[in-house]
Amino acid sequence: MSLPQLIEEDIRELDQALQELLQKSDASTGLIIDKGGFLITQSGDTRDLDTTTLAALSAASFAATQGIASLVNESNFSNIYQQGDTFSLLVSNIDEYLLLTVVFKAQISVGAVKYFAATTIKQVAKQMKRAHRRAPDKGIDLSMLNLADTGPLFRKKIA
Amino acid sequence: MAIINQATKELQVKIVYYGPALGGKTTNLVQVHDHVQTAQGQKGKLVSLATSSDRTLFFDFLPIEAVAIKGFRTKFQLYTVPGQVIYNTTRQLVLRGVDGIVFVSDSQYEKMEENVKSFTNLEDNLKSLNLNLAHIPCVLQFNKRDLPNAAPVEYMEFLLNNRELQVPSFTACANKCEGVFETLNMITRMLLHKFINEANRKAA
Repeated sequence: MSLPQLIEEDIRELDQALQELLQKSDASTGLIIDKGGFLITQSGDTRDLDTTTLAALSAASFAATQGIASLVNESNFSNIYQQGDTFSLLVSNIDEYLLLTVVFKAQISVGAVKYFAATTIKQVAKQMKRAHRRAPDKGIDLSMLNLADTGPLFRKKIA
Repeated sequence: MAIINQATKELQVKIVYYGPALGGKTTNLVQVHDHVQTAQGQKGKLVSLATSSDRTLFFDFLPIEAVAIKGFRTKFQLYTVPGQVIYNTTRQLVLRGVDGIVFVSDSQYEKMEENVKSFTNLEDNLKSLNLNLAHIPCVLQFNKRDLPNAAPVEYMEFLLNNRELQVPSFTACANKCEGVFETLNMITRMLLHKFINEANRKAA
């Protein structure tokens, strides 16, 4: 089973869950990402952030932490937390496919962010279950689409 | 597995460059990053998690975008893996969620054993993720063709592409950007066709 395809309703629910989290915890930015490294949706202040790369690196970092967990026979490393001078970062497991990444000011306690994130995680997981039920065996549906053109997608710059 | 987002009309696809150490995987990404023609904002930064001696430690990452399918923004995320044998756990992590593979082999005669071992390692790692190379679009690149001790293409085909289902292969000199775009365009094309065929099959 793979991540189901997401429709507007899903993204709306996910965005709303993120916004609630940011409001309650006073965190700056929230991202929902796929464990393969794809950014699904984002909320909050993203002006100075390369969120595509942030998503890829948080997923990789989380995966590495899971690798470490299995080395020490621990099945429950469900969060990673990095404390910085101005900003801190929390990456939490949502379900089999997704992660939540939260960027927040260093003076905010991680405990508070974790506490509010627990609700967000439940909300997101619930919506993903709905998405799965909607299309249980359909991971992807491009049936109505056609290739835009048959030429090469990427061209080399002419020097 | 690729992500399709109907709300934002986005398709996200992950391509992993695999192959033996010092074969030119990172060079491929650097050349794509330096030479691709894109509209502003369609090319991200090239992120390299490398050691001080420029050997890839975890992976390199390059996001690029194209309008590949009408009405959909297609985001390709290009990754490399560390080629050195000891970093196998890291390679497994990077392979998670892979949609397409570019196998970058080193054409020098003395690297043939490493090429074959790396290819077997790719198959093993995919198996550990419950994936099968036969079901994943894959392209071979025979890199470093400009070196004097390069083995004939036929020999490399025999070693690396000798299966029931043969995959497209390209010769390359990645450091001169020869063959880099040909390889990338083939893997992206194969991926899009795979998605559309799957979608049509499900619709039928």
